[in-house]
Amino acid sequence: MFQNRAEGFALALPAAIFAAVIFIVPVIILLSGGMHVNGHWTLSAYTDFFASSLDRLVLWRTLKLGILVTLVAAIIGYASAFAIVSLSPSSRGRMIGIVVLPLMISPVARTYAWLVILGRTGIVNQALMTVGLTDEPIRLLFSQTAVFVGLLQLFLPLMVISLVSALENMPNDVVPAARVLGANWLQIFFKVILPLTREGLVIGGTLVFVGSVTAYITPAILGGSKVLTLVTLLYQRVTIANDLVSASVIALILIVMSFGTNILLRKIATARNRA
Amino acid sequence: MIRSTFAASAALLTLAAGAMPASAQEKTLTISVYAFAQDAYNRILYKPFEEKCGCKLVVETGNSAERLAKMEANKNAPVVDMAVMSMADALTAARRGLVQKIDTSKLDNYDKLYDLAKDPNGDGMSVGYTFYATSIAYRSDKMDIKSWQDLLSDKVVGNIAFPNISTNQGPPALYMLGLSMGTNAPDLKKPIEAVGKHAGDIVTFYNRSSQLVQLFQQGEIWAAPIGRFAWEPISKLGLPIKWAKPKEGQTGGLNVMVVSKGTKNEDLALEFMDFWLSTKVQKDLADALVDSPANKEVKVSDDVAANITYGAETAKNLKLIPAKVDLENRDRWLKEWNADVAQ
Repeated sequence: MFQNRAEGFALALPAAIFAAVIFIVPVIILLSGGMHVNGHWTLSAYTDFFASSLDRLVLWRTLKLGILVTLVAAIIGYASAFAIVSLSPSSRGRMIGIVVLPLMISPVARTYAWLVILGRTGIVNQALMTVGLTDEPIRLLFSQTAVFVGLLQLFLPLMVISLVSALENMPNDVVPAARVLGANWLQIFFKVILPLTREGLVIGGTLVFVGSVTAYITPAILGGSKVLTLVTLLYQRVTIANDLVSASVIALILIVMSFGTNILLRKIATARNRA
Repeated sequence: MIRSTFAASAALLTLAAGAMPASAQEKTLTISVYAFAQDAYNRILYKPFEEKCGCKLVVETGNSAERLAKMEANKNAPVVDMAVMSMADALTAARRGLVQKIDTSKLDNYDKLYDLAKDPNGDGMSVGYTFYATSIAYRSDKMDIKSWQDLLSDKVVGNIAFPNISTNQGPPALYMLGLSMGTNAPDLKKPIEAVGKHAGDIVTFYNRSSQLVQLFQQGEIWAAPIGRFAWEPISKLGLPIKWAKPKEGQTGGLNVMVVSKGTKNEDLALEFMDFWLSTKVQKDLADALVDSPANKEVKVSDDVAANITYGAETAKNLKLIPAKVDLENRDRWLKEWNADVAQ
């Protein structure tokens, strides 16, 4: 379409300048703020972060929640994706529509719903008391469990969609072939299905993990200051302590975690490809 | 061809630059205030003032810390002419050279203020416009609160929300808890340790008082230390919730007005502040249950008085942490809190 590269480059220029001025330069300035303390270049803000037991605890909790949500989303995701691809094409479309539907509702509304569901008078506690499993309401809110449940519900659809499209691309006859050859279901899953769908798993896993560790609303509402995650800690540092230096340290850690996960998951996928 | 595409890009950039707002011709006053109750402020304060001065008000909203950060960033060419903040933040702003002395001779309503509001930090840099009491809202069918210490009793502690240390209510609530335990600010170590011991029992450490409405409504909590400004929606839940009068007394806070250093609109800012402090505006804001009046000439009905922080007696008896003490100890309190409570 374009006669030469220079022309394409020229067309991309306004967008490139825009992105540089509005996004890239501010991000660099923001992130360098964590290394520029009182007019000196230093890594002291980073050593301070890792020296603080509270900060380490929050970092570890965030990682743990992210990994757990991703793992559970993968397990439920595979089960639902199998169920969906086994349907006829028309009901498949409908089912995917239902899976995607929650994504169209604001995360604030969805998280507030959990506040009601998990409350002392909420449906979960009422069910437990009716069945007789507990005499008085269990405290579910403002706990890691609540944050976990909220995040899982928030990001599960992304995993399901990724796995559905991966399973759709898998040849139909590989599972019957494996069965004919005498593989049990576990072997079929780990030796046939998983390798053939790992790209979907990598995409879904990255989306879910990055989404979970960078979510703000869910941990803020369902966890509060009792279950701080890196993002809610960052928010506190900025708005309350006006401490932009340690906030930019946290921001960089979050970016590194996000890129790191993606690189790691892709490494795992390609390593298996070669094997 | 290449040249024309470059020209097109240049044109686009020019367009983008042209979209920036042109400088306003009429007199404008830029203020920075808390975000709550803006509809009421608009009706009672902003609109009438614009009509009176024939000028335009630009209203920025946000919390005190954001405001402070913005003022610092624009130190050399102030964008905001006048701002409101907590006493402690006003003292910080004064120490950082972000605000200027207030010429109270230009405030006709200054003499009508309660003494506590006249020059709260003693540096002439701020004037109080509203104050509030902080006490404990509690379910009277579940418990009785006679002392701040009752919050941590075995029967109660598993059903309370306590303000996070970072909120305006946090240090005052800890201060009162400390008084009930026989210590005095600035030493909050003992109350922080006591709260820390029960950190697992306490339902949540809240960051915004607006959260409490739902928590009370769902029966999630039965008691919480709150500021009077947050009382109105809670009192309307239809639950037996009372405002405690603990024997150690009530604490609270004062919000103040400041003028940015080097503002080009000093006279207009002072005119606006004077209007805000006037008896009519203060009364209307009180009747709307937005701000408790700092103007002692304001008379309100018993009904309104019961729902705001009102009267000379109340004003005199509030146990406030002095802004200086607050500022100088905040980091230490935060460290102690992070060590004992947050983990």
